[in-house]
Amino acid sequence: MSLRTGRTARAGQYAALVCYLVFLAFPFLWLISTAFKPARELGSLHPTWIPENPTLDNFRQAFDEQPLLRAAANSLTAALCAALIAVVIATPMAYVMARHRNRLSTAATGWVVISQAFPFVLVIIPLFLVLKNLHLINSLWGLILVYVVWSLPFALWMLAGYVRAVPPELEEAAAVDGAGKGRIIVSVVAPLLAPGIVATGLFAFITAWNEFFFALVLLKTPEKQTLPVVLTHFLGAEGVADLGPLAAAAFLATLPSLVLFAVIQKRITGGLTAGAVKH
Amino acid sequence: MRRPYAVTTAVITALTLLLAGCSGGGGRDTEDGTVRLSFQSLAWQKESVDANKELVREWNAAHPGIQVDYVQGSWDNVHDQLLTAFEGGEAPDIIHDASDDLADFAYGGYLADLRTLLPDRLKKDIPQQSWSTATFGDGVYGVPFLQEPKVLIANTKILESSGVRMPTPAKPWSWAEFRQVTEKLTKKGAYGVAWPLKEPVSVTLNLGLSAGGQVFHRGADGKAVVRFGEDDQVMPRTVRDQVNSEGSAARTALGMGGSDTLPGFFGGKYAMVPLGFSYRQQVVEQAPKGFDWTVLPTPAGDGGLAQGVSPQTLSVAEDSPHKEEAAQFIDFLLRPANMVRLAKGDWMLPTGTEALADPALHTTENGWATGAALARALRPAPAQSVRGYPEWKDKVATPALQEYYSGAIDTKELKKRLVEDGNRVLARYQR
Repeated sequence: MSLRTGRTARAGQYAALVCYLVFLAFPFLWLISTAFKPARELGSLHPTWIPENPTLDNFRQAFDEQPLLRAAANSLTAALCAALIAVVIATPMAYVMARHRNRLSTAATGWVVISQAFPFVLVIIPLFLVLKNLHLINSLWGLILVYVVWSLPFALWMLAGYVRAVPPELEEAAAVDGAGKGRIIVSVVAPLLAPGIVATGLFAFITAWNEFFFALVLLKTPEKQTLPVVLTHFLGAEGVADLGPLAAAAFLATLPSLVLFAVIQKRITGGLTAGAVKH
Repeated sequence: MRRPYAVTTAVITALTLLLAGCSGGGGRDTEDGTVRLSFQSLAWQKESVDANKELVREWNAAHPGIQVDYVQGSWDNVHDQLLTAFEGGEAPDIIHDASDDLADFAYGGYLADLRTLLPDRLKKDIPQQSWSTATFGDGVYGVPFLQEPKVLIANTKILESSGVRMPTPAKPWSWAEFRQVTEKLTKKGAYGVAWPLKEPVSVTLNLGLSAGGQVFHRGADGKAVVRFGEDDQVMPRTVRDQVNSEGSAARTALGMGGSDTLPGFFGGKYAMVPLGFSYRQQVVEQAPKGFDWTVLPTPAGDGGLAQGVSPQTLSVAEDSPHKEEAAQFIDFLLRPANMVRLAKGDWMLPTGTEALADPALHTTENGWATGAALARALRPAPAQSVRGYPEWKDKVATPALQEYYSGAIDTKELKKRLVEDGNRVLARYQR
């Protein structure tokens, strides 16, 4: 490949990347723009990216009309607990699935994939009855249990992939040096698995943070409702919406995920690189 | 190495504290014998939520022995949410919904038959045509209380400057006259009308009544069949011609929801938009300062101003241990003065005769008078009690009407699909 062709290809790659970034960012930027626009600008035939008369009224209205802080606290509790529990359960399971390949682990992997195919609507009534018998309806504990069960298959699958990426030779070397199984897992495997654990935890957190249907059905009293459920209170029948306050509240609801990504992203990549060097 | 453990301990402690208040609630009634009812409301606009909460507060103050808990529901996924709650025996005592969502619940035995529970006052106050929207088989499973006709929201300046006759409920436009008017209002880059037909089926069926259309016909055996005669074709043919041959309706609006057309309406791109009566609130909030708009009746045909509606309803759960108390609360909520408050909060029309006569709903401001004048012509939406309608709508009618309005198929093909394909679907539900 000539130098010129290489440069052209590189320019094309950057152009594609920019297009992709714009594509990804467009809805979020539009959400921010809408959140700061007064109602009359929302009805404009020629909408602008930058609000002509930016206002915080939508935020004020959103907080006045709905208990956003309480809902955010509920969401945060449910999402953090679900992520923590899912990771704690999935990590040892994933290790066994990845390191001990036999019929059982193959069957387990297959079952994990199949379980992802069940739609919410299919499982909700039996699930509701089970939780009712456990006195976990209208309880954040019940919702957390559902989130853990719901995110566990994919978390398991994801973590098993990370475990497979850790070279078994490292464990063998540690064993040769006299380390026991527990020591190997804690001192050798776990540090290398850290980025995977964080990524899986992040996945479980975001799944739970954004989940709507289970929360709608399983939580009855306003005090327990989570953020996605409260956001729908800005929506009427047939898709009519109180657009300004909805955009303001939705913008605030996306912030925790963004902050979490921003904080953790460096550690994920850093951990991955560390693993690669050792390999 | 100690810091991570400290952080972990702090996180776990914080979560434990947060979860301390997370366990489920107890029984409904209190030990002193006070009855506790839960009322799930789908009100969502601030004025409407405020009106509902205020009425609950007034009830609770006046009835210490029967306390009502207001539960905020959501129109989004309400059917699945209620179905799960019914199946799990955890449904709210008083349920706010819409009449076109009740059939499954009524036939499934989840809702109480209200005929013996409601007082005569309420029964007499609401007209029979409204009661029929919540009647399934022999029972009445909801109290229809708010309804929303389609109206034409029009740019007064454009209409007046064009010299067209302004229609009134007493002298509305015919469908033919409406076509002429929209042609006259169409100029370069501006259309006479924008039909937001993202969901084309209910609009087509409901407005079709004005031309004598019916689409669904009941045989002597009680089974419903689809027909698509000349009367049924008046409204859809008008729209198709406006879009495709006359160019007086905006093609781009066909895929829009009601709210999506408002910027074009405010910008003078569309002279009129057929929208639900409650959209007036959005117009009031979003219209540019000085924008002059008015509310006009939709065109009339052989059926006069008739159009189909699916009113909002209040029902009582069959499993509720306090059906009588729940019915008493509904009666309180729907006293004429209270019904007016709810109607104004939702920018809709009340079904109750006395409430509808309230002067507050007959002002010309924001088009209330035009809507109120249409109330007598409102009929049950043609399809709402037809079993198999949701599948007919989703699999047959929606794609067929979308193609028809865009000009991809002609009336003959539309009829073939709605009738032949459609009746095959309905037959499966009516064996």
